[in-house]
Amino acid sequence: MSDIHKGSVILEIRGLAVEVQGRRILDGLDLTVCAGEVHAIMGPNGAGKSTLSQVLAGRPDYVVTAGTVRYLGEDLLALAAEERARRGLFLGFQYPVEIPGVNNVYLLKAALNARRRQQGLPEVDAFEFLGLVRDKMRLMQMDEGFLSRGVNEGFSGGEKKRNEILQMTVLEPTLAILDETDSGLDIDALKVVAHGVNGLRRDDRAIVLVTHYQRLLDHIVPDQVHVLAGGRILKSGDRSLALELERRGYDWVRAEAAAA
Amino acid sequence: MSAIAQATSPLARLATALAGLPGGPAWAAWRGAALERLVAAGLPTPRDDAWKYTNLRLLGRRDLSPAPPRPLAASALADLPAIAGPRLVFVDGRYHAGLSAARLPHGCTFTPFAARFAAEAPAALGATLAGDAALADERVRTLNASLAADGPSLVLAPGARPDEPVHLVHVASGGGAYPRTRVELGAGAALELLEYHLTAGGAEAFVAAAGDFRLAAGAALVHSSLQVAGERTILLDDASVVLAAGARYAHRLVALGGQLTRLDLRVALAGPGARAELAGVFFPDGSREQHLRTLVEHRARETVSDQLYRGVASGRGRGSYDGKVIVHPGAFKTESRQSSRNLLLGRESAIESRPQLEINADDVKCSHGATTGTLDEQMLFYLLARGLDRDTARALLTYAFVGDVLRRLAPDALRRAAEARVLGRLPAAELLREFVA
Repeated sequence: MSDIHKGSVILEIRGLAVEVQGRRILDGLDLTVCAGEVHAIMGPNGAGKSTLSQVLAGRPDYVVTAGTVRYLGEDLLALAAEERARRGLFLGFQYPVEIPGVNNVYLLKAALNARRRQQGLPEVDAFEFLGLVRDKMRLMQMDEGFLSRGVNEGFSGGEKKRNEILQMTVLEPTLAILDETDSGLDIDALKVVAHGVNGLRRDDRAIVLVTHYQRLLDHIVPDQVHVLAGGRILKSGDRSLALELERRGYDWVRAEAAAA
Repeated sequence: MSAIAQATSPLARLATALAGLPGGPAWAAWRGAALERLVAAGLPTPRDDAWKYTNLRLLGRRDLSPAPPRPLAASALADLPAIAGPRLVFVDGRYHAGLSAARLPHGCTFTPFAARFAAEAPAALGATLAGDAALADERVRTLNASLAADGPSLVLAPGARPDEPVHLVHVASGGGAYPRTRVELGAGAALELLEYHLTAGGAEAFVAAAGDFRLAAGAALVHSSLQVAGERTILLDDASVVLAAGARYAHRLVALGGQLTRLDLRVALAGPGARAELAGVFFPDGSREQHLRTLVEHRARETVSDQLYRGVASGRGRGSYDGKVIVHPGAFKTESRQSSRNLLLGRESAIESRPQLEINADDVKCSHGATTGTLDEQMLFYLLARGLDRDTARALLTYAFVGDVLRRLAPDALRRAAEARVLGRLPAAELLREFVA
């Protein structure tokens, strides 16, 4: 990843329109994310925040009807979900699915090795991997028991979110999209998750936080804040925009956009 | 011509085969009478409720007459998992001493059924063999009783608890095979029984097996069945289990082979506190048909039954789980659970699932659930979003789907052997091995 440096464009979305089950959810969305940046995408419920996250990760039943998405200069929309993941795009799910019978750690090892193969790096063996994952689990204050469990099987809401961040810290993505990672977390868990995310801030990486509330942004300070409503980015600003949204809600942004 | 008449003709042809079977004229007469009843009743058809999902019309084109004794190379058994314990081998239903390693544990007695036919009169033994041909779901037993020449008869003395499992290996080498099994556990005895059904080479074979399992008070039997019959084998297996007070019975089915296979498993919880736990997986792929029918009867109070079945169909594979639980009057405080989940991987794959519950007593806890569907799209997307390729992700989810059942297999060597064979059935098996290492 040596060719990625602070300020180089990682993600460039132009005029993106997406339909889900025949309903238009995104409608002409533009967004540019550069290396070294943390972006927060905020917006009211139903604005299309999760749709944006999922469509970037390659969810097959979401239909792109217009626009382009370039990721590291490549046409992202031409890549299958697994190819995007291997190129370093990571989605932290809002609702991580439980997969009983598929071991949490084997999945993570397979995910890491899929990424490393793509990068032309040697695969890590089981021993190396276990050492790596134990370190990261300590960082995320996760119990050793997670090693032997099925993917998210029987995890509480908070444990599932921690597990997503654990995966992210192991996979070291180039672009991390965290979809409502703060929802359902108590304040202690929120701090652990924020600590994990902050530890990943680097000049050759970008992080997109999708969130409904600004409380996460007290702990992970974004470089840019965007308001997503009605399927497009209506307003962008710095951290202070998040604080203003917290005070005034979203209606004024919509009114401003309508007037413009 | 009706379906019944078509299906009956191969049965009528079997009369000539009776002369070669063990036992004197009394047995010949007894068998002839049983076969006549069966010919009159005909083979079951999908119009019989218990055979709703299984169509035996294939039998009309098969030679069902018992296979003549023929030599079998030891290499035919090469694929058996290496698990310690005495091994009794039956080729086309006949005991094969040469391939067996019959050093049975203390308290365990084995008598080949051929010897019992020679020594015992049909008046006594016959009553335990034949089903009631008038009942559609017992006709396989009657067919077996008419033609069985041999098979394992095992008795475990009260309190005997061998350390190692006893292996019953059934090899079909072509033509008809009618193995008969009887296992009796004395009070407090405990046994692990591993049963295998395989086919030597690619022979066209027909097997109608029947077994009786009798558990005295407090006895415990773990009965595992690994079915890896050949692509041209039709296998009908009918097992009847009766449990006295406090007895425990566990049945594990791993059905991977055959052209058309069916297991009828009848369990009678006859004594208070008896418990049965039935679990299995079946994998109809290609044009394979695999059917399973269970009948669990709670005949006494405080009895418990638990059923967990998983089916995975691909290609034009077809299968069924037809499970009936009957709680008889007086069987109060019984508990019964039935879970049947099925996965369809191909557009032309099909699995029927019918859990049925008939409750004739108060104060019982019974539940059942059945689902049939395709792979979970959300799970699939999650795995893809972590970089797994589609084939691996699909195979992994398929494997995980049957994991609950496979994890119940014991001893470990059997579980590993079954896991390896299940993996061998899945696409991208090599990629999966690291997940189950």
